[in-house]
Amino acid sequence: MNWAEQIVKTLKDWETSMIVYVPDISIDQVTSLIDKDPYFRLVSATREEEAIGIAVGSYAAGRNAAVFMQSSGFGNSVNALASLCIPARTPIPMFINLRGGPGEFNIAQVVMGRAVIPIMDQLGLPHFILEDDGKMDKLLDGAMKLCHANRQPMAICLTQMLHGGKIA
Amino acid sequence: MRRFEATQLVLRLAGDSPIVSNLGPSSDELWHAGHRDRNFYTYGNMGLCSSIALGMAMATDEQIISLDGDGSILMNMGTVASIGREKPKNLTVIVWDNEQWGQTGGQTSHTGTGTDLEQVARSCGIARTKTVTDLEDLEAAVTEALASDGPNFIVAKIEEAGYLSVAPVEPEFTLYRFRNTFVAPRQPGD
Ligand SMILES: Cc1ncc(C[n+]2csc(CCOP(=O)(O)OP(=O)(O)O)c2C)c(N)n1
Ligand SMILES: [Mg+2]
Repeated sequence: MNWAEQIVKTLKDWETSMIVYVPDISIDQVTSLIDKDPYFRLVSATREEEAIGIAVGSYAAGRNAAVFMQSSGFGNSVNALASLCIPARTPIPMFINLRGGPGEFNIAQVVMGRAVIPIMDQLGLPHFILEDDGKMDKLLDGAMKLCHANRQPMAICLTQMLHGGKIA
Repeated sequence: MRRFEATQLVLRLAGDSPIVSNLGPSSDELWHAGHRDRNFYTYGNMGLCSSIALGMAMATDEQIISLDGDGSILMNMGTVASIGREKPKNLTVIVWDNEQWGQTGGQTSHTGTGTDLEQVARSCGIARTKTVTDLEDLEAAVTEALASDGPNFIVAKIEEAGYLSVAPVEPEFTLYRFRNTFVAPRQPGD
């Protein structure tokens, strides 16, 4: 099972069938699998804070949801986390393609990419960075358990070291 | 039409259906009109009222009502496009359009300078739209919306008339009180 298939399996293990996303070329390796799988409903949002809102609505009505976005889009979602998810205590797993690390070619992706973890820390939210797929099944399963126990958002950051990324 | 009377009317027509309300006076007035577990008050996250309602509508077959505001939906107009794209049959968006950012001092919003939200909804592929200016037309529009396949988008022009007191709302209680009407509450060991 490759890393993308492992994410799909974990989402199913945690009965997380509503997936809301804004496209990213690397995360497409997962969202394209989700799109083909009738277990899931894949919803396109126009903006990442909207994606968080849709996910919270789904969770509120009893269906677990996750969001997929790029690190630039994480910047668009901060107020939704701070003023909706955290006060209302919603366990929303976020799968973020973390740009701005080794292999980054685009100066405009560096600052926001590198700010994701410090912002998550300021918000007091847990996060994990995946740089290879070793023990990934355990880590993903444990992260989902933590997310639901904490009833707060949680970020799984996917890097170019993991997925090969976009290199130019 | 005043928002409070309009809110009381929608609450009466809604029966058991979930209602999501925009931050500020829209949420306060929903609370004063009648607090119930299926009221989802928002107190921050400006712009996300109808996005939350869209998520609910895709997660359940029940009728979902969003009581949004002009300023808030202008902030997240992309979600009107997402509603037009997903076309949930069970979603009715009502925009309380006072043509102002009311809570922040009544500054004129873009609907007061020509933006027509009903046309925005139409151009996003939402077929069932209406603009209403009095309670009678609102009652007819909401009654029809709840009885037919949506999505429905109703712009309700309202006059501001002073605010009621801020509702005693706790977001965490709001969410789990709401959610527990859909799923069994957490049990020991869960
Ligand atoms: C992201 C964000 N920006 C600005 C504000 C300040 N703010 C609070 S309510 C509001 C106006 C909302 O306007 P509308 O949705 O039309 O509701 P009304 O107050 O008119 O009922 C603004 C700008 C905020 N709470 N959050
Ligand atoms: Mg307004």
